[in-house]
Amino acid sequence: MGLVDRGRMPIPLTKLFNIGRSYSMWVYQWGLACCAIEMGAAFGSPRYDVMRLGVIPLPASPRQADLVVVSGTVTDKMAPAVRRLYEQMPEPKYVISMGSCANCGGPYWDSYSVTKGVDQIIPVDVYVPGCPPRPEALLEGIVLLQQRIKNEDMGAKWRNEEYTSLQKTAARAAAAEQPIVVGGGPIE
Amino acid sequence: MPQPPSSPSWWGVARLSDTSTDTETPALPGDGLREGIVDTLRRDLGEQLIDTYLLPQKDLWVRVASEAWAITGRSLKLQGFDYFCFLSAIDWMPSPFGKGEDDPSAPPAEPDPEAGAIKQGYTGGDTRFQLFARVTDLKRHVSVTIKADVPESLTMPTWIPSYAGANWHERETHEMFGILFDGHPDLRNLYLPGAFEGFPLRKDFPLLSRMVKPWPGIVDVEPMPANDDETPAEGGES
Amino acid sequence: MTMLNERQQLSYIAAQAADARLNVELETEGMTLNIGPQHPATHGTLRIIARLDGEQVIWAEPVAGYMHRGYEKLTEVRTFPQVTTLINRIDWLGSFANEVPFILAAEQLMDIEAPPRAQYIRTIMFELSRIANVSLFLGDLGVQLGAITPVFMAFRDREYVLNLIEGATGGRFHPNFDRIGGLKDDLPKGWIDETKQVMKKLRQFCDEIEDLLFGNEIFQSRTRGVGIIPADIAKSYGMSGANLRASGVDWDLRRDQSLPMAWDKADFKVWTHPDGDSWARCWVRLQETREATKIVDQLVDSIPSGPVMAKVPRIIKVPEGEAWVSTENPLGEMGYYVVSKGDLGPFRVKIRSASFNNISITPWVLKGVYVPDIITILASLYFILGDIDR
Repeated sequence: MGLVDRGRMPIPLTKLFNIGRSYSMWVYQWGLACCAIEMGAAFGSPRYDVMRLGVIPLPASPRQADLVVVSGTVTDKMAPAVRRLYEQMPEPKYVISMGSCANCGGPYWDSYSVTKGVDQIIPVDVYVPGCPPRPEALLEGIVLLQQRIKNEDMGAKWRNEEYTSLQKTAARAAAAEQPIVVGGGPIE
Repeated sequence: MPQPPSSPSWWGVARLSDTSTDTETPALPGDGLREGIVDTLRRDLGEQLIDTYLLPQKDLWVRVASEAWAITGRSLKLQGFDYFCFLSAIDWMPSPFGKGEDDPSAPPAEPDPEAGAIKQGYTGGDTRFQLFARVTDLKRHVSVTIKADVPESLTMPTWIPSYAGANWHERETHEMFGILFDGHPDLRNLYLPGAFEGFPLRKDFPLLSRMVKPWPGIVDVEPMPANDDETPAEGGES
Repeated sequence: MTMLNERQQLSYIAAQAADARLNVELETEGMTLNIGPQHPATHGTLRIIARLDGEQVIWAEPVAGYMHRGYEKLTEVRTFPQVTTLINRIDWLGSFANEVPFILAAEQLMDIEAPPRAQYIRTIMFELSRIANVSLFLGDLGVQLGAITPVFMAFRDREYVLNLIEGATGGRFHPNFDRIGGLKDDLPKGWIDETKQVMKKLRQFCDEIEDLLFGNEIFQSRTRGVGIIPADIAKSYGMSGANLRASGVDWDLRRDQSLPMAWDKADFKVWTHPDGDSWARCWVRLQETREATKIVDQLVDSIPSGPVMAKVPRIIKVPEGEAWVSTENPLGEMGYYVVSKGDLGPFRVKIRSASFNNISITPWVLKGVYVPDIITILASLYFILGDIDR
C-alpha cells in the first residue's frame, strides 16, 4: 500500500478499492437506548436483514469494526466511553448517528445530564432522524454511507484528513463533503 | 394449560411439582382497614404521628415527626407492610424560574411577593423538604404513604434496617436533593458523574438549556376528538 | 431469618459443598472484573464491577447512571399532555404501558374517567405492549446463553405485534396514544380480526420457545438453582412483577387493585413459581406472555361500543392534589406519584420504575455465584436501562 501511503493513488484504483470497502463493512452496534431495539431489528431480524447490503453486524470488538452506529441518548457520563470507543476503532472509520437523541439531544434537549448530540464528541458521517427511526431509515443511512465511501479519496483518509470527495469541481466536492441527513435537509 | 417441561435436574433436586397457586383473593381493602392501620401506628408512635389524610376507598397518607422516621419504618414492617415500594423527597419551594417557558431575552419579571410562599400538600408540613415513602402489605392488599419533614440539618435516619431496598432510593434522594441519611453505608452518586455540582431536583436548580433557548410549546392546543366544535368545552362533565 | 423452602435449601447446600471442595483443591487469588458499560448484546448500558476469587464472585456492584436522562426534572417543565411523550421512553419496549399509570393519576386528580370503550382498548394495548416486551426477553435469553436462534424468532414474531400497535396508534415504539380522558383515536377497521390471528401466532411462538429453550438441558442446568432469591428478601428490596412471583409471592396489581381498566372483565391466571431461581423467573414470564394473549383474545371479543374520549377541557389544568397510581407493567410495578398545584404542568412527579428496585438486589444475589452465572442472573432479572436510570 505504498501508493496509498504517499497519497498518490490513481483514481480508478481508488474507486475499485472503494467498492470493496463499501460492501464489506463490519458494523459495531453502540446501542444506548430505545433506538438500539430498532437497530437490533435492522441488524438481527430476518425481516430487514442488513447483510444483503454487504454489512456485517456483531464484530467481537470495536477494534475490528469499520462503522459504528451510535443509537440512543448519549449522557455526559457516557460521553467519555463513546469517545474512547471511537478512538479504539482502526482507520478508516465511519459513524452513523441514529435517532434524535444522538443527533441533537432530542426530547431531552433541556436535560441536565444529556449531551446535546454525539457530534460534539466524535465526527458524524450520516444522521438518521426519527424518534426512533424505523429500521428502513437506518438501512437507507447505510446505503447513503456506502455511496459516500465510493466517492471518497482514500489517500486523504489515510493521511488522517477530513472526508475528501473525488468530485472534480469544487462546488460539487463541497456539497459532497457535508454530512448526510437521511431524508434530506440541512443540519441546524 | 401448558405445563412446564419436567426433567430431572442436575443435582437431584426434586422434580417440579404443581406450581400453580389458587389462593383465595381477599376483598379489596376498605376504609375500616385503613383506619385500623392509623390506630396501630398511633399506638406505636403516640404524639409523633402528626397528621393523616384518608382519600375514601383509595389511599392513605400519614405524616410523622422527623425523629420518628426510623421507628415508623420498623412499626410498619412489623404490621406486615413488607413490600417496599419507593422512597423519595419533595422540594415544596415554588420554582424561581417558573416553568422555563419565558423568552430568555426578555427582561426579568417583577418578583412576586406571593411566589416565595411554600405550601405543602396533603397532611401539611413545616419545612421546605419533605421525605415520603410508600410501603405495601401484600397480604391485606393495602398501601400507605408516609411523609416526614426534613429538618434544617438535612439529615434523616436511614430505613435500611427495616427495608433493604431503601439503600438505592436513599442514594438517589441524596444525589437529587442533598439530603443526608444517618447510618447509610454508602452515599455515593448513583446517576451523575462525580464532578457534577448541584442537586438537580431542587427547585432552584436551573435548566441551563432553557435559559438560552425559548420553549415554544407551553400551550398544547391539539384538538380533542370529543369536541368537534371550535369553542373550548367548559368543565369536565360528560 | 430468610425463609427458604426445602428445595431452595437443598440447592443452597449443594452449591456450598461444591464451593468448599473447589476452594480446598485450588488456591486462587483475587481479581477485579469490569463488565460494561457497553455490550453488543444489550440495549442500554449497565456496568458491573465484580471482585473475583478464582471463578467466584465475592462482591459485585452495578454502576448505573449511564442512561440517566432526568425525567423527574423534565416533567416539572412540561404540561400534562406533553409528559406522556417523555415517559413513553422510560421502558422503551413496553411504551404504551408507561403512559397508562400517569394518565390514570391525572384522571384521578381531575375526577374524570375514560369511557368503557377506551378502558378496553387501553387494556388491550397494555397487554400487547407486554407481549412485545416479554417476547424480546424470551429471545434475548438465548443470546445470553450462547444460542442465537431464539432472538431471530423473537424479532420475527415481535414484528407482528408492533404492526398491530402501529396500525392502531401510528407509532411502532412510542405510541403516545393516551390522552387524559380517553384515547386519541378509535381502532381501525379490520384490526380485531388481525389481532386474533397474531395472538395465535404468538402462542405458537411461546410453544416454540418452550421447546427450544425451556426443554433444553443446557439451559436448565445453567439456570436451575442459580440466583435464588427468597420471598422475604425480594419483598424488602421491593422487587415486583415476574421476579416477585417467581419467588412464590402471589401478587399481581392487575388483579389485586381496582382501577378503571378492563382486567377484571377478563379471566386470566396469575402464575407463580416456588423456586425463586433464574429458571423460575424465565418460566413465569413465558406463562405471562401466554396469559396476555388470552386476555387480548377475550377483550377484543367484548369491546363495548361508544366514544373513546370523555369530555375534557381543551386546555388541561389539573386541580391541586396528590395521587399515586401504579400498574403491573411488563417489568413489574410502575407507578407515578403526581403532585399538582393546579397548573398546566405537574409540580413534582416521582417515577417508581420496576427495574430500579429489581436491579438493586444484584449486590445481594451476585455474592457467591460463578462468573458465567452473572450474565444469566442479570438476564433473568430482566431490566431495561431506561427503567433503571430514568
